[in-house]
Amino acid sequence: MTALIIFALLLILMVTGMPVSIALGLTVLTYLFTMTSVPIESVALKLFTGIEKFEIMAIPFFILAGNFLTHGGVARRMIDFASSVVGHYHGGLGLSAVFACALFAAVSGSSPATVVAIGSILLPSMVKQGFPMRFGVGTIATAGGLGILIPPSIVMVMYAVSTSSSVGALFIAGIVPGIALAFMLGVTTWWIARRNHYPRQPRADWATRWRAFRKSVWGLLLIVIVMGGIYSGAFTPTEAAAVSAVYAFVIAVFVYKDMPLSRVPKVLLDSANMSAMLLYIITNAVLFAYLLTYEDIPQQIAQWMVDTGFGQIGYLAAVNVLLLVAGNIMEPTSVILITAPVLFPVAMALGIDPIHFGVMITVNMEVGMITPPVGLNLYVASGIARMGLTETSIACFPWLLTMLVFLMMITYWPALSLWLPRTLGML
Amino acid sequence: MLRILDRLEEWLIAFLIGAATLLIFTAVLHRYSLGLANAWGWDTAYDWLFKFNLSWAQELCIYMFVWMAKFGAAYGVRTGIHVGVDVLINNLREGLRAKFVLFGLFAGALFTGMVGSFGASFVWKMAHTNATSPDLEVPVWIVYLAIPLGSYLMCFRFLQVAWSFYRTGELPHADHAHVEGLEDEVEAAQAAGRQEPVFLGEAITLSEEREHLHGGHLGDDGQGRDGAGTTGGRS
Repeated sequence: MTALIIFALLLILMVTGMPVSIALGLTVLTYLFTMTSVPIESVALKLFTGIEKFEIMAIPFFILAGNFLTHGGVARRMIDFASSVVGHYHGGLGLSAVFACALFAAVSGSSPATVVAIGSILLPSMVKQGFPMRFGVGTIATAGGLGILIPPSIVMVMYAVSTSSSVGALFIAGIVPGIALAFMLGVTTWWIARRNHYPRQPRADWATRWRAFRKSVWGLLLIVIVMGGIYSGAFTPTEAAAVSAVYAFVIAVFVYKDMPLSRVPKVLLDSANMSAMLLYIITNAVLFAYLLTYEDIPQQIAQWMVDTGFGQIGYLAAVNVLLLVAGNIMEPTSVILITAPVLFPVAMALGIDPIHFGVMITVNMEVGMITPPVGLNLYVASGIARMGLTETSIACFPWLLTMLVFLMMITYWPALSLWLPRTLGML
Repeated sequence: MLRILDRLEEWLIAFLIGAATLLIFTAVLHRYSLGLANAWGWDTAYDWLFKFNLSWAQELCIYMFVWMAKFGAAYGVRTGIHVGVDVLINNLREGLRAKFVLFGLFAGALFTGMVGSFGASFVWKMAHTNATSPDLEVPVWIVYLAIPLGSYLMCFRFLQVAWSFYRTGELPHADHAHVEGLEDEVEAAQAAGRQEPVFLGEAITLSEEREHLHGGHLGDDGQGRDGAGTTGGRS
């Protein structure tokens, strides 16, 4: 009953269009003032201590690192490298787009920025070569989402923070699924291209490949620094994030020379703006989670689930449907922060592995971004290609289907995500 | 006066994120050079490095980010980065939508105003104790001063945005998909003739023509070219 009131209140406040963070905070305050005896002081204290965790500080650092490298020049280098490697297969530029999206998204950390960057540079060439616009839009809008699965991933840090899981283990667990999904999207692209006889690129020789690789490698090394540093134990995830931010700065300003020093304050300001917004949601989500825990709601739902014999299979299916709907209308970080405090304890009660659950949620967020009617990537892609939202959704359909199949695989085949961290002894 | 406040806010949060990054980077560097100096037996270097104790770095970083988060959130109201679920209200007729937008902004002002007041009374209480932070040993109330200051500023920003929305009907809007230096790249690709690129706008027209089998309707390609944000090049 209490749970129903709290969530109904939150839902009503949210559909009025106010910021998610404000809706969360007001729900808590309204509930506190009207129907409970939780002392206001203890809530006030939560407001101050909510984000005082060193792990959370990885988020601003990763955003900063990504913003230094979210640059047209970096996107072009990734595209050159990708097309020199896979361009000669069926659907050459389409495959290159998938590959380049995976690389750029991982480094920049932003899905919409990936869609815009890779789309603006590659779509014109694709259309000129004779690819239909729909094909190009479909590949780029879907592959643009790969960034949140391939580490470093802010969405994963969010999950780790709100469930007290290990950031490092989650990052490592994301590697195999990230590569597998990129591969599956590539196969879909290849298959469609082969059936329709779309053009291929001339095969690049090894010298060209090497040159393209050498130019793009400075950006890609960011992933290596983060993963290597965390895995070897050289850095904590937050330290790795700070080191990667400094590294990204050096690469952008002194190695690639994409960015003049005078641009740096603007990048700092934009990153601070973005991080502050996320940290503000976290603060209020912590408050919300505290209220739920205080009212013992997660435990009650978990008990109810266990009693009704819902089971792992049914529960995971229900979670997927719920998150797909939520991921459609909200951005991934908000969805995770709001739902994790409830979904996670239930998953634990049903004996689901926390890391597996985290990877599943991350993949789900990715699918949510291209699910019609209102996925974020659909919006961005329809904007740059001047296509209607419906047409963009139709364009994405084959890849959306691939992603849904992949989501099923991730959901019911835990080894896919757990094998690597287990082998490396991180679990 | 207001402009000074704006600049101060921007300057403060940009400085905090930059400084925190350098701080943690230095702490990591310090830890590793200490280890290296020890391993290679460079005693003077080790002794010199050992004099610097950076164990407070984590705590300072957290406080810097708390301050950045509070003032950045206020700045975010001004740039329109705090988004909500607006699918529903965007489909309402204009007058009704405006009412919902104003309601949302006032709700924001109400919440931040309340939090600011909680914060103020909390800081007031703290200022009468001797509580200090564990590593830096600064009085706790100074650290937490960020809450009332940041929240009241945010409240003010919400009212400011509400006022300008009421007057002009415009909301600040943050562009999440901005990519720096993209136009240059598209143009550079054009100039180099690599993979026969065309501008996005032309590509759109091209694909539309192909689809509709009209052919040769080049009259309306100027409209699309504007959209790609690039000018010149192929005329």
